[in-house]
Amino acid sequence: MRLFSWWLRRALSAVVTLFLVSILIFAASRLMPGGFAEVVLGPFATPEQKAEVAAKYGLDESIVVQYWLWLTTALTGDFGISMISGEPVTTEFGLRLPVTAELALFGVAAALLIGVPLGVWTAVRAGGRRGRAALGRLASGLGVSVPEFVLGSIVVFLFSRYALGLTVGGYVPVGEDPVGNLQSMLLPAAVLSVFVIAVTARTTRDAVLGVLVEPYITAAIARGESPGFIVVRHVLRNASIPVVTVLTTVTAYLLGGAVIIEYLFNLPGVGTYIVQAVGRRDYAVVQAGVLLAAVVFIVMNTLTDAAAGVLDPRFGSAAKGRKR
Amino acid sequence: MRIPRILCAVAATAVLASCSAAPVSDNAPTSEVPGYLAVADEAVTSGGTLDLQMTVDNGAPTGLDPQLADVATSWQLMSLVYETLVTVGPDFSIEPALAESWDNPSPTEYVFNLREGVTFSNGRAMTADDVVGSFERLLAGQGVWKTQIGPVEKVSKVDDRTVSVTLSSPYQPFLASLANVPAAVLPMQEIEDGSVDITKEMLGTGPFVVKSHRQDVSWQFTRRDGYWAEGKPSADTVNITIAGQEQARMAALQNGSADLVMLGNVDAPELLNGVRGTAVGTQATTDFYYLMLNSNAPGGKFDDPRVRQAINIAMDRDAIADSALGGLGKPTGVTPAGLPGSCDPALLPSARADLDRARQLLKEAGAENLTFELAAYSTAPAPAVAQVIQQNLQRIGITVNIEQLDEGSWSGKVYGEVPATFDAALSWFAGYADAAMVGKWWNPEQAGFNLGFMEPNAELNTAIDKAIATPAGPERDTALQQLCDAVDTDAQMIPLVTRPALIGYRSDALSPTLYATEGYGNVFRGIADFRLLTK
Repeated sequence: MRLFSWWLRRALSAVVTLFLVSILIFAASRLMPGGFAEVVLGPFATPEQKAEVAAKYGLDESIVVQYWLWLTTALTGDFGISMISGEPVTTEFGLRLPVTAELALFGVAAALLIGVPLGVWTAVRAGGRRGRAALGRLASGLGVSVPEFVLGSIVVFLFSRYALGLTVGGYVPVGEDPVGNLQSMLLPAAVLSVFVIAVTARTTRDAVLGVLVEPYITAAIARGESPGFIVVRHVLRNASIPVVTVLTTVTAYLLGGAVIIEYLFNLPGVGTYIVQAVGRRDYAVVQAGVLLAAVVFIVMNTLTDAAAGVLDPRFGSAAKGRKR
Repeated sequence: MRIPRILCAVAATAVLASCSAAPVSDNAPTSEVPGYLAVADEAVTSGGTLDLQMTVDNGAPTGLDPQLADVATSWQLMSLVYETLVTVGPDFSIEPALAESWDNPSPTEYVFNLREGVTFSNGRAMTADDVVGSFERLLAGQGVWKTQIGPVEKVSKVDDRTVSVTLSSPYQPFLASLANVPAAVLPMQEIEDGSVDITKEMLGTGPFVVKSHRQDVSWQFTRRDGYWAEGKPSADTVNITIAGQEQARMAALQNGSADLVMLGNVDAPELLNGVRGTAVGTQATTDFYYLMLNSNAPGGKFDDPRVRQAINIAMDRDAIADSALGGLGKPTGVTPAGLPGSCDPALLPSARADLDRARQLLKEAGAENLTFELAAYSTAPAPAVAQVIQQNLQRIGITVNIEQLDEGSWSGKVYGEVPATFDAALSWFAGYADAAMVGKWWNPEQAGFNLGFMEPNAELNTAIDKAIATPAGPERDTALQQLCDAVDTDAQMIPLVTRPALIGYRSDALSPTLYATEGYGNVFRGIADFRLLTK
């Protein structure tokens, strides 16, 4: 029952947040300087053409009516029509989502398979040779601080200027050519992974270091448990909450579209699409895209909280304590 | 630690070398055929897949209707499918296309003899009715091109292969205006019976048909059977990828995943210099940058013609061409440099005056310490052009604050309000294929888009009308010079420099046909001739 009420509270909070976000997105898209008429139709458009397009997309209604119409149709899963392509926005996102999802998958996999073990390893070895620890910190610091566009530009330059065996730019759908797909995604995924690995490794390292000084770890060592067993049995679970938080945040960010990577490698993903839509004042696309990103963040946050409750029962107790 | 002297010397040499003049690109294509940047090698076997990359897709709520297409990108894409009665040659002479010949019995009458054996891609033969219907549809529609095709009074079918067009008054650019995609011959029978919606699909007489299109991602065209020009097109398939990022296009060119790419960076020839197997050509275009001075600007900053003239005098077009466009643009008047009959920008009234005259004009107008905002969009090289303008005007005591905006915000600021509230703005025009065509946009009552910031000028309008009505010959040259002078003196929209098009291609994979100068921004004009060397 307590779990049900927790989910209910989260759901209500998500609905309220999304409602507020929807107002914000709608207002922001309409406050952008430069209207659809000038941007989409161009300077030569006649007043008749402008009126025709306004009527077609409901832009001749008052802002409140426009919002209400958008909100009520969005609730049925209809996010409107793109003014540029004339296609339903959901269809357009459906075409681009696989690219973004694949990139996100690579990023999350890199974080899990490389970032987490690297963080644990550098934490466990923190008491060892000073040079190694400093090197680990330097590497993760560089990974976090070097902007994606710098690293991406270097990679694009090197791999296009010199035949180094990997495809630079363009996207091959996995259903069309799985090997070609892998070749086209490897470099963008690698560039993206540098930041993701670095941030995950740093967080993991800090969390693990925090756990390693706990008395129960000292007790485990005193009991003669092996270091591997201690890490797996006692450290990982207790250090996992901040790591899970970072991982879910990174996943949500990646699912919203890694714009810079998509642009640099010419990947037709969600991020590029939203940026293009902003530039062209394609309102329906902007609204749907930002709302989609907000939904992803809210869902991921909720899942993070749920995972935290499972990983550390004290979360639930704390809530209970507050009630008393 | 002491740094060895030899290292210091090497470093100093490197720094000095980087500060010296940019190296001349040695991978520029050279053609011995006059008027061409490159000519496809016909000895190469036909066939293969052509991979091209463009910066933006055709994208408008008006869809794929060629008569409503008003930007060069759309013309470029649509030219693979649609064709016109006539076309322009490399020297801007009018050449046959769907009309194999034409007669001009009087200055206001044109009779087109249609080519035999032309079919639309659905197999139906093109008829005189399609030509007549296309004209009528264009004239009745809302496309901007109806302004450019001139005072068409009557279009009639003489017989199945002959169409007659009567103008209400002489209009010299008529044939040149017919050579652009919006004047294409459409499948009128299918449009009228509703079997084709040309806002959603393309059905033309051209060499290719659309196989697939994903908005802002890609196009795929395939060769069509039954194309009237024997042996054309050469390529079986044309893949066009839309790649907004310059770096991505350059990468695709370098690693060979694209055979030809459009480039925007004027330094591209130097950046790609030395990359084996690539060539970067600079195609001159008749497009040109211009400066708008809003006659309705707040505070009446530019309502005095003397202030505008002073600004025009201070424009150093050579400096703009050299510094902002890497020497690839050319100074121009309103008749775009490169077109037959275009006026010499060095002879313009503003070019003949000096900076003292500019200062004197400002003094007379009481605008000695003028400060204004210049709205420029952020797409290169516009910001660099704006900076040179800023420096130019500093010389006569004018302070320019550059406002760099994304294209949407820029459009909203410049075209969003009537009367407009901006001070000044930088933009560019497509220059078209006849020296007098673009001049029509200097009459705001005809152009429409500039009504918010430009006051009609009766004298200028007379010069525009005379330039478009005067037939080719010495009299027309005089009329064009008068048009240039009138625009220069009016100075509400000041022509600056031409806008070059940079084309990178794999010289080891592709043998393209490219004009040296292009009037309608159509790099794909010769695409039916492109030969693939390695596929």
